[in-house]
Amino acid sequence: MTGRRGRTVVVTGLGAVSPFGTGVKAFWQGITAGACAIRPITLIETEGFRSRIAAEVPGAVGGSARRARADRLALTAASEALDDARLSAAERRDAALMVGAVGGGMLEVEAWYWKRWRGAREHPDAGRERPGAGRERPDAARATLPTSHADVLSWRLGLEGPRETVVAACSSGAASIAMAADLIADGVVPRALAGGADALTRICYMGFNALRLLDPEPCRPFDRERRGMSLGEGAAFLVLEDAESARARGATLYAELAGHAMTTDAFHVTSPHPEGHGMIGAMREALASAGAAPADVAYVNAHGTGTAQNDRIEARALRAVFGEGGVLVSSTKSMIGHTMAAAGSLEALATVLAMTHAVVPPTVHLTSPDPDVPFDCVPGVARAASLPAAMSNSFGFGGQNVTLLFRAC
Amino acid sequence: MEPKEVKDELAALLVSRLKFDPARAAEVTFDTPLPKGVDGSIGLDSLDFIELGIAIEERFGIVMDESQDLAEHFASVATLCRFIAERATQR
Amino acid sequence: MLKRVVVTGVGVVAAGLVGGGQTLTRWLAQVPSPPSDHAVDDTLLAALMDGVDARRASRVSRFTVAATRLSLADAGLDDAGAAGFVLGTEHGDLHSAIEFAEGFLRGGPSGVSALAFPNTVMNTMASAATIACAAHGPALTLNVRTVGGELAVARAAHTIASGRLDVALAGGVDVRNPTVDATLAELGDAEMRGEGATVLVLESLDHARARGASPCGEILGAAWRGLPARPNGVGHRAESRAIAAALAEAGLAGQAITWAYSSSSGDGPRDAWERALLVRALGSEITVASLARRFGQHAGLGALRVAAAAWSAGSGRLIDPPVDVAPGPGLVHGIARGGTHVALVVGPAPDGVAR
Repeated sequence: MTGRRGRTVVVTGLGAVSPFGTGVKAFWQGITAGACAIRPITLIETEGFRSRIAAEVPGAVGGSARRARADRLALTAASEALDDARLSAAERRDAALMVGAVGGGMLEVEAWYWKRWRGAREHPDAGRERPGAGRERPDAARATLPTSHADVLSWRLGLEGPRETVVAACSSGAASIAMAADLIADGVVPRALAGGADALTRICYMGFNALRLLDPEPCRPFDRERRGMSLGEGAAFLVLEDAESARARGATLYAELAGHAMTTDAFHVTSPHPEGHGMIGAMREALASAGAAPADVAYVNAHGTGTAQNDRIEARALRAVFGEGGVLVSSTKSMIGHTMAAAGSLEALATVLAMTHAVVPPTVHLTSPDPDVPFDCVPGVARAASLPAAMSNSFGFGGQNVTLLFRAC
Repeated sequence: MEPKEVKDELAALLVSRLKFDPARAAEVTFDTPLPKGVDGSIGLDSLDFIELGIAIEERFGIVMDESQDLAEHFASVATLCRFIAERATQR
Repeated sequence: MLKRVVVTGVGVVAAGLVGGGQTLTRWLAQVPSPPSDHAVDDTLLAALMDGVDARRASRVSRFTVAATRLSLADAGLDDAGAAGFVLGTEHGDLHSAIEFAEGFLRGGPSGVSALAFPNTVMNTMASAATIACAAHGPALTLNVRTVGGELAVARAAHTIASGRLDVALAGGVDVRNPTVDATLAELGDAEMRGEGATVLVLESLDHARARGASPCGEILGAAWRGLPARPNGVGHRAESRAIAAALAEAGLAGQAITWAYSSSSGDGPRDAWERALLVRALGSEITVASLARRFGQHAGLGALRVAAAAWSAGSGRLIDPPVDVAPGPGLVHGIARGGTHVALVVGPAPDGVAR
């Protein structure tokens, strides 16, 4: 079957802000300890909603308070990745920038909108803004869009290569990595910064509550008693590079991004295809693009949201591709929740780290295995394991499927 | 509440919460099936049923027990009206 | 070895213009005076909504489905199959986001609409279109100001040129939003805003020939880059790497291009920056056309410009302004505040396969 297309793509830099704090180290320590970062929400009001917990990024997120939270998360993670890759200013200029985003600056715009709406109700005569109030709006109005992260990162980090913001629901952070890999493999750019960022928003929180998809307790992916997702927030970026160029400049090579694929269920706005056709297609195409066989893959970092439906269909898809018990599986969302546009990139990061450290992070809260999930989901405790190749899956809301396949360098 | 009253309220919810055309909602009878894929139904899918559930809870003050399978109550306008009328009087 | 990329279908939903390739060609040949406002007549879309959950699909999704269906019909394709789908947008379904928020503000937690929630994520339009057209390939929604359509076409063209896909649908969509208009007006934003969707069917030339399709144009070069600028700001550099890369891909020198469709839209400083970029790359004699005055700026325009450029490359006539130019390749260019810029070298249909 088809082997690799074009140039070999490797990972040479890592950066993250997660519910375990700032930095890749804090993230890795948290997930290998099997800690749970899902707690009562502090950022927004939760009165009257069924599920009132999420995995928030703790403490102050670096950067100017005038910037949207999601922009700051993105900037912090992206800066770490670029510093980690030790790129010069000239090397940054040529780098592409692909950002997965969904909420953008919605958290701040919501605050402004809520205040304006409630203010007008309480004081109907105060409909006219006070002088100077318009100045609050420029930042709020303009930072709303998901595209804001890419503009902030390019400006602050000196990136002048191809720039895109992809919105693919829960797969955004993985789609950006796949898109960047294509540009490098095709020789358009020698390197790219790719990842995703999302801050908790009222819209996301209320929406998933309304859909009854959130567990009032921390989520339990793959557990027989699972009752839904938990929300999270964060950002992660990878520096991807043409292998030859990376070796020539003495970069550290974490892993090779050997293959990837993107498919669309085109089935229903919220439900995946019941037999996981799109999921299966993405996994098989990713394997084919890497010239790899299912038996080559030792570990799959699952989408694993903890909803009854996702986990069941995902397990079915995994079984179709790998056979029962054919691979270790775990869900990082059990610890950091579903970080939306950051999920694909935080989980790609977890996958790369698992390979470099030869440790598989666990699925926590997994106490009663589900017979419909015929895999070792690494319950509770991280597992030492040599991983010559590992896969990261993001199966987004409404059928946007992205699979990334990494191979040890 | 009488089933007929409930039916009228339901028709109003179809318009306000499920974005049905008022003319279409007015045509709905007790016999009209609800789920998509059934002959003559108004074509509701899983997303619609979630929205309808929220709307019914709010409008009629009923709390739906998610641990129960309520599908049979959502089979037609008649079954749903009965379900609502019974619980609304139990308060 | 890059594959050649041709345009085999067009679907347009815009103020005063709704239809596929034939409608567009007739319109281009005899351009009417500009419509009195920049709003789309929704009644013209009803016939294109068959089987679509129009009850729940918001206006911006209906525009996208309509344009997608028109483009597929124009290309002679029954459904999209394994085609990719790349859609650019500036505001997505903002209307639904506001409606969703107000549901809560009015009615508390039980006023929150589960139905509206999926529409609050920007890929909702692509979701509606891929379901309506049974498209199972990669679906990307790209968010950027101003140049969404150009960017989507460039990304899709590249994906075909590199051999990853044989067919891709690419375009953009935005709808007018009173909240956005009011806020931007108060901020002193002078851009002329409009609404609409344009979707193109892009295909490798081999694939088009094999199935007997007739292209209406060719994408000879496509590139996109970033220029230094503050977020929402306008930069100063006049040298465009995107134009250079697109020209290189097309095997053309700057002097070979004498006309361009630009993203000029009434935003003074941004328009001036774009003019500087075009003059620097293509010379001060360059004739620049813009469609934003006629239709109002929206993400669909970028794709419409590509279709118009393909026609201009074949006919030797521009629109807005209506001047004669030398037939042959021209440029479609766009730049957004913040610095994302896109350049596409667009030529007439290759000999022997033109419509």
